[in-house]
Amino acid sequence: MTTEGLVAGYEDGLPIVRGVDFALGPEELVAVLGPNGAGKSTFVKAIAGLVPIHGGRVMVGSTDATFVPPHEKIRHGLAFVPQTENVFATLSIADNLRLAADILPKAERARQVDRVFNMFPDLADRSGRRAGALSGGQRQMLAIARALIVGPTVLILDEPSAGLSPKVVGEVFARLDDIKRSGVAIVLVEQNIKAALAVADRAVVLVDGQMRHEGTPDDLAHDPRIAELYLGVRRNRVAIPA
Amino acid sequence: MNPQGLVDGLIAGATIGLGAVGITLTYSILRFSNFAHGELISWGAYFALAVAGLLGAAFGFLTTPILPFSFGWTLPIAAIAAIALNAALALVVDTLLFSRLRARNSTVIIMVMASFGAALTLRNLLEFTFTGKPQYYTGALQIAIRLGGGIRATPDQLLSLVIALLVVSGVHLLLTRTAMGRAMRAVSENPQLADLAGVNVRQVIRIVWVLGAGLAAVAGVMAGLLIQIRPEMGLDLLLPLFAAAILGGIGSVPGAMLAGLIIGISEALAVAAVGAQWRAAVSFVILVAVLLVRPQGLFGRPE
Amino acid sequence: MTIELIAYGAFFLTMALSFAIICLGLNVQWGQTGVFNVGVSGFVAVGAYTSALLTTPPSDAHLGGFALPIALGWIAAALASALVSFVIGAITIRLRSDYLAIATFGVAVAVQLCALNLQPLTGGPFGIGFIPRPFSELAGRPLAFSLLNLGVLILLVGGLYFFLQRLARSPWGRVLRAIREDETAARALGKNATLFRLQAFAIGGGIMGLAGAVQGHFIGFIAPDNYQPILTFQVWAMLIVGGSGNNRGAILGAIVVWGIWAASAAMIGAVVPADQQARAATLQIVTIGVALCVILLLRPRGILGELRVVSRHLDARPRDAASAAPTKEVSRAERS
Repeated sequence: MTTEGLVAGYEDGLPIVRGVDFALGPEELVAVLGPNGAGKSTFVKAIAGLVPIHGGRVMVGSTDATFVPPHEKIRHGLAFVPQTENVFATLSIADNLRLAADILPKAERARQVDRVFNMFPDLADRSGRRAGALSGGQRQMLAIARALIVGPTVLILDEPSAGLSPKVVGEVFARLDDIKRSGVAIVLVEQNIKAALAVADRAVVLVDGQMRHEGTPDDLAHDPRIAELYLGVRRNRVAIPA
Repeated sequence: MNPQGLVDGLIAGATIGLGAVGITLTYSILRFSNFAHGELISWGAYFALAVAGLLGAAFGFLTTPILPFSFGWTLPIAAIAAIALNAALALVVDTLLFSRLRARNSTVIIMVMASFGAALTLRNLLEFTFTGKPQYYTGALQIAIRLGGGIRATPDQLLSLVIALLVVSGVHLLLTRTAMGRAMRAVSENPQLADLAGVNVRQVIRIVWVLGAGLAAVAGVMAGLLIQIRPEMGLDLLLPLFAAAILGGIGSVPGAMLAGLIIGISEALAVAAVGAQWRAAVSFVILVAVLLVRPQGLFGRPE
Repeated sequence: MTIELIAYGAFFLTMALSFAIICLGLNVQWGQTGVFNVGVSGFVAVGAYTSALLTTPPSDAHLGGFALPIALGWIAAALASALVSFVIGAITIRLRSDYLAIATFGVAVAVQLCALNLQPLTGGPFGIGFIPRPFSELAGRPLAFSLLNLGVLILLVGGLYFFLQRLARSPWGRVLRAIREDETAARALGKNATLFRLQAFAIGGGIMGLAGAVQGHFIGFIAPDNYQPILTFQVWAMLIVGGSGNNRGAILGAIVVWGIWAASAAMIGAVVPADQQARAATLQIVTIGVALCVILLLRPRGILGELRVVSRHLDARPRDAASAAPTKEVSRAERS
C-alpha cells in the first residue's frame, strides 16, 4: 500500500495531514510515530475512509482506493482497528467475528472464523461471552482478530497500546510478528515508541501533518533529532512551575 | 379482578408489543424517537382495509368467513399486501425526509420535529381519504370460546395472540441468528465500527425501516380487526408504544414485547380499578416510573 | 365595512399575539435551557384552567366560582404553570432530548386526560364557559372592544419581550449562557446548573400558562379539546419558522404561521361547500405538515433565526452519517 501526497482533514481549508508520501511493503511492519497533534491518527483514518481526503492518493497494490467508502475498504484488503470502541460490546465474541465474516461467501465464513479462533485460543475459550465483559488486552486481541477474519493484506492499528498495562502491551505486540508472517503488512500508529520500535521493520515520524523522518528502528533510536523532538515537547510542558 | 380482564389486557398488550418492537428497532438504529411510527400502524390498517375491500368487490367469495374466524381470505391476503405497501410508504418517507435530514447531520430535535410534521400529514391524509368514521374489516360477529377458569376469548383474539408471538419470535431469531440481524445489532451499537467491519449501514437502515413498517402493518391489522379502524388509532397507541419500548429497553426485541404485554395487563388492571377513561394515563405513569428508576429499561444497556 | 375589517384584523392579531406569548415561553425553555418540550399544550392548559376556575362565577358544572378579577386569574395561571413546570422539570430535565420529548408528550396527554375526566373539577368534556373577557362592558362596540383587547396583548407581548431580553443580559442570564456553552465548566465554578435550568424551565412554563389564561379570557370558553398535540405542533412550527433561539423570531413566527393558518381556514370556508368543510380542514393540516417538513429541509433556521448551538448534547452530529460518538471522536482526532 502507498499514499502519495495525501492531504486530509475534517474541514476543507484546514488540512491536518498535509501531503504525506508513505509506502508499505508486503509483510512489513511500519510504525508511524510523532508527537501529539501530529496527525498520525488522522492519517490512518483518512486511509480507512473515516476522514475526508482533499488531495493525493491511496493505492493498494495497483488499485486506487482513495475514495472507496469505509465499508468497502475491506474488500480492497485494508482492515482498520480504531483506538477506542473497537469491538461490539453488546455482541458476543463469536458474533463479533461472525459479523466480520459475513461479507465472505457463505462457504468461507465458518472456516475463517475457525482459523482466527485458532490464532487466538483465549478468545475461543470464551467465545460465547459478551465482548463488553472482556479485559482491555482481550478486547484489543478481539479487535485485531475481527480485522483479520477477511484475510486483509494491510492491517492498520491505531494506538493499540492505549490504556493497556506494559505486560499486556507486550503480549499484544508479541502477536504482531505472527500476523506479519502470515502475510499481512501492518501499519502501527503508536505513542509508545519503545514498544513500537521493538517490533517495527521501519518507522516514520510525522510532525505537523508531514513526514519528517524515516528509517529503521536503529537509525531512529540513535538520531539525536528524534530525541529532541520528543524531549523538546516534554521540556515545554515541564516548564510550568510546580 | 377477574381473569377475563387479564386476558383482554394480554391481547391488547400483544398489539402494543408488536408495535413497540417496530419502534425499538427503528429507535435503536435511527437514534431518534419517531413520532410518525403510530401513523405507520394506522396506514397499515387502512391499506389492508382498502385492499380487502377491492378484493371483496372483485371476488365476492373471498369474503366468506374462514370459520371459526370472523374474516374471509380477503383479510390475510390484504394483510400481506399491507405489509408490502407499508414498507414502501416507510421507504418513501425516509427517502424524502429523514435520510435528507440525516445526510446533513440534523440534530435530534429537528428529526423529531420532522417526524411530528410527517405524522400530522399522514394522519390527516387518512382522514381526508377515509373520513374519521370508524370502520371494520368484517361485519360478522364472533362468539367467544370458553377457555375455562371464567376466561373467554374469541377465535380472532387467540389467532392474533399467536401471530403476534410468532412474529416477534421470528424477529428475535432474525436478530440473533442471521447475518442481517448481526449487522442490525452492530449498527445499533456503533454505526462507525459497523462501517469499518464491512457493513453497508445505509442498506441496514433501509431494511430496518421495512421491518419496522411491516411490524406496524401487522399491529395495525390486528388492532383494526380486534377493535376498529380510525385515523387516530396510531396516535392513541403512540404513548403506550413509546412507554413499552423504553420499559423493555431500547434495542431489545423480547423486552419490547414483554413490556407491551405488561402495559396491556396494567391498563386492564387500571381500568378495573379506576375506570376506562384513565386508560391512557397508565402508559404515562409507567413511562415516568421507568425514566426515574431505571432509564435503561428491563433489558437495555445503561447509557 | 371597514370597521368590521379593522375589528377582524384586531381579532386576528390578538390571537396571533397570544400564540406569540406561548412561543416566547417555549423559547425560554428551548433557547435558554435546550429542553425539547413536546408537551406545550399541557402547560398552556394548566394556565387556562387555573385562571378560568378562579375567575368564573359559581357553577354546578365545575369547581370554582371565586369570581376573582381577571388580572389575579392571569397571575395565578402563570404561577400554577410555573409550579407544574418546575415539578415536571425536576423529574425530566436530566433526560436526553428525545426521552424528554416523549416524557413531555406524556405530560400533555396526562393533563388533557385530567381536564377531560375530572369533571366535577374542570367541567369535563363540556369545558368551562362564561370566562370573563377584558373590557366586557364594551362588548356592544366591536371596534373599541377588539382594539382595547389588542392593546392589552401588545402591551403584554412587548413587556414580556423586554423582560426576557433584560433577563438574558442579567447576571442570571449570563450564568445560564455559561451553562449552555459548557456545563462542566459552569459546575466547576460552583454553579448549580440543574437548578438554574429548572428555574428557566419554570419561567418558560409560567409564560405558557399566562398565554393559556389570556386565550381563555379572550375567547370566553375553554374545553379539553383546545389542548391537543396539534397546539404543540403549531407553536413549534411558529418557533421554527420565525427562527428558534430568538425572541423576535418567536413573535414573528407566531404572526406568520397564525396568518397562514387563518388564511387557509378562511379560504376553505369560502371556497369549499359546507358538507366538505371537515374534509377540507384535514387537507389544510396536511399542507401545513408538509410545509413544516419542507422548511426543516430547506431552511431550518427559520426567517430570523440563528439556530445557535444550545448545548453540546444538541450539536449536529459529525460529517459522516455513520458515526456513533459525536464530539468524542473529533476531539481525539484533533489531538493526534
